[in-house]
Amino acid sequence: MASRSEPIAPVRPVDAAHLARRARPIVLLAVGLAALAVALVLGVGLGSVSIAPGDTIAILAHRLLGLDVAPTWAPSTETIVMELRLPRVLTAMSVGVGLAVAGTTFQGLLRNPLADPYVLGTASGAALGAAIAVIVPIRVVIFQFGLLHALAFAGALVAVYTVYRLSRTGGLAPLTSLLLTGYAVGSLLAAGLAMAMYLSGAALGQIFSYLLGGFDGSSWSRLAAAAPLIGFGSVAISLRARSLDGLLLGEETAAHLGIDVRRERAILLALASLITAAAVAVSGLIGFVGLVVPHVVRLLVGPSARSLLPLSALGGAALLAFADLAARLLGEIPVGVVTAVIGAPFFLALLRRVRAGYEL
Amino acid sequence: MSGQGSAGGATAIELIGVDVRYHDRQALAGIDLRIDPGERVALIGGNGAGKSTLLRLVAGTLAPTAGTVELFGTGVGSLDRLAVARRLGVVPQAAALPFAARVEEVVALGRIPHEHPFRGAGPADRAAVDAAIARVGVEALVGRDARELSLGERQLVLIAMAVAQATPILLLDEPTVHLDLRHQVAAMDLLVGLNEGDGTTILAVLHDLGLAAHFFPRLVLLDHGRVIGDGPPRDVLTPARIRSVFGVDPALVRLAS
Amino acid sequence: MSARSRRSRLALAIALVLPIVVGCSTPAGQAPTPTPAPTAAATLAPSPTPTPLAAFPVDLTDDDGAGVTLTAQPQTIVSLTPATTEILFKLGAGARVAATTDFDDYPPEALGLPHVASYTAVDVEKIVGLGADLVIAGGNSFNDPAAIRQLRDLHVPVLVVYARNLDGVLKDIELIGRAVGASDAATALTASMEAGFQEVAAATHLLDRPRVFYELDATNGLYTAAKDSVYEEMITLAGGKPITTDSPTDFSIPLEKVIAADPQIILLGDAAYGVTPDAVKARPGWEVMSAVKSSAIRGVNDLIITRPGPRLVDGLRELARAIHPEATIPSPEPTTAPAVPASPAASAS
Repeated sequence: MASRSEPIAPVRPVDAAHLARRARPIVLLAVGLAALAVALVLGVGLGSVSIAPGDTIAILAHRLLGLDVAPTWAPSTETIVMELRLPRVLTAMSVGVGLAVAGTTFQGLLRNPLADPYVLGTASGAALGAAIAVIVPIRVVIFQFGLLHALAFAGALVAVYTVYRLSRTGGLAPLTSLLLTGYAVGSLLAAGLAMAMYLSGAALGQIFSYLLGGFDGSSWSRLAAAAPLIGFGSVAISLRARSLDGLLLGEETAAHLGIDVRRERAILLALASLITAAAVAVSGLIGFVGLVVPHVVRLLVGPSARSLLPLSALGGAALLAFADLAARLLGEIPVGVVTAVIGAPFFLALLRRVRAGYEL
Repeated sequence: MSGQGSAGGATAIELIGVDVRYHDRQALAGIDLRIDPGERVALIGGNGAGKSTLLRLVAGTLAPTAGTVELFGTGVGSLDRLAVARRLGVVPQAAALPFAARVEEVVALGRIPHEHPFRGAGPADRAAVDAAIARVGVEALVGRDARELSLGERQLVLIAMAVAQATPILLLDEPTVHLDLRHQVAAMDLLVGLNEGDGTTILAVLHDLGLAAHFFPRLVLLDHGRVIGDGPPRDVLTPARIRSVFGVDPALVRLAS
Repeated sequence: MSARSRRSRLALAIALVLPIVVGCSTPAGQAPTPTPAPTAAATLAPSPTPTPLAAFPVDLTDDDGAGVTLTAQPQTIVSLTPATTEILFKLGAGARVAATTDFDDYPPEALGLPHVASYTAVDVEKIVGLGADLVIAGGNSFNDPAAIRQLRDLHVPVLVVYARNLDGVLKDIELIGRAVGASDAATALTASMEAGFQEVAAATHLLDRPRVFYELDATNGLYTAAKDSVYEEMITLAGGKPITTDSPTDFSIPLEKVIAADPQIILLGDAAYGVTPDAVKARPGWEVMSAVKSSAIRGVNDLIITRPGPRLVDGLRELARAIHPEATIPSPEPTTAPAVPASPAASAS
């Protein structure tokens, strides 16, 4: 009676498609790097002032690689390439990395496909911080950030910390509590933002342009303040990819798989929030990147965070660099509009795929 | 009955004087339970008897209100999660998957406690995953989105994940509820193989008293948070107990062998 | 009214109206006219040797309090507000203006120039590409402060102007005059503008002062002159008694407050957007107002009344005629004849 039963179905050997799937992250890595290189060249080469491609390349070779190229271009051309376009492209890429990595992390951590980097109040916190900076009559510079960026950064962190602390006081399950608290705090902050906008008078335009997001104020100094935070956070999260993987089947299962869920949740939440805060401080609120990029990459390489995080970072960088280029070429329209135009149809398609229940 | 495969020394699982209170409700009271390495134990009892609570205590995801829980002689609370996960695997009743994931990707999660923390799965891990898939007999499901499987198939995938985890202790929470009869028997055979062939200590919550009695040499019967029976099936499942604990006619419970 | 025109009206309201009026802490009562020697002229007394070449290098302090040093007379000037464009052309520096904004509309010679700013953004790259050696920008967030900072970081001189009142407009004109090496022209312009203000004030100050409601926008709520705003100053100079919101920053006013104030004249600053006296008469609740009963509802050209540039005098004349259609308001360019130092009862009412 206790004989070994036959397999449920005929054995299917590990086939070529399976192997191809294992090699896929490498291929995508190469594609992503190539896309990034193209975005860099186009982003530096194109703009409202037309610069000969030869001059662009010569300036980059001269300034970045130290090649001895005799300047045939006007000094203003060099300023445009080196002081305006290059930091702008690199800022777009850094923010793209940050939003994509933070989005991947929040989705995995909250186990929610609809989560994005702004879900726990970072966006409304940053927006309120920026709005307060606009309406207070003080002008200071902190770590290369203007007051607006400093307060946006602080606002994002304070908001998410508040959400985290408040979420731990109730009797709800931790994830539900985080999401609901995030929603409640976000609503409160949005009310504060509305009030600040009402009081802002002529500065309303400034708040508005921050809310729309963009890279037209990029500079080396601002990049130097934000990029290390984003880089540090992204690497630190990637080193904890295992924890995100463990959470795939829920917190209880994660614990069974050796993950200290409480500790990892706090660390990942802090890192992802730090990244998000740095990103929103330099670029304002840019939607869809952090939501959509992780999903696209997941469709391509599966849910393992170890492939997902670096590839999402690449994808986010390339997407935002191209979106900013499009925004610039279309006459400085807000980059958030471009990402929304790209992202919203994708998101709708995604919603159609999301199943009502996803019990395993 | 107990102790087969035991090399002496520490017990695999030991609960001493354990109480668990949720707010004002006593979930478990005065539990003393000792399971030696290589034992195969079924935990039975009515709904709300405290079976799942006991599993969570052993897995270390719930701390007792009083008493101690030890794995191989070490308090489970003093082990970090990774150390617990290398000693003990858990097959949950169900798990939610928020994103599409292929069956083999889910099974591979079982290797998390073993793989390199930064580099990820190595050849040995991949081999263990393939072996677990073959052993549970879910090769045909490889490549499919785990969210599209039937409930029974998902249960087998979760068992394969725990098998890939390759721990000396395996806890199962009603592993057969969604399986058809043939797969129930197959799953029981698998547990017997893991236990007798590999020496894995098994503690499984089971609702089907027939399966429990047939495939497990030792049953622990819980009622209202207390152990009221512990031993071979025929000693534990007396007609009087079946009537008092489960409230059914003993004739309805088919006691094989 | 289409959503589009409504939006553009709001944008206009923000872009054109607020920068010269909001955040005003100086009472508007400091009208530019009370004495023959206004402060602007006193501080910037025309130098006895008006040689533009000697004017550089020059150190200026702009309306943001920022120091701006110009080593030589600017030859490539970028104007980021319609008012500064008008000033530059009026001062004879139009040939040196290299670029303006999307919304510049005057003078006609300025219309063909490249655009480097929209309502929301300043194209820093294009400004650098043009090799600008002077950028004149609007303060109080008229132009994006981040762009101004960025230009300064790139060593492009930026002069920020922001007039809180008529006096401020005159000072800004002289400031711009010094920046572009046209101080004499600027002094002459401000003198003639002051004369114009005084003539209008003189022509209206003995007349009755009707209560004036100046409608900025009524598409969604009512908007009118804020307290201490340039509107209040202009309407007072034009011989009216302005009905204002009681706040220097809030331009909205509840209808019941307007009804209680009972305007004798309603001026439609939004006439350019198709608001007509008949439409106003048909509004429910408005029939009780004196202005509606006597049909004293008139459209005015809001642009020249509020744009802090050389045409403010024309705006004031238009306003005075709209408030006192029965009176004779001096025509443009009577010039020379230094007006009798009238005491324009700026604070009389």
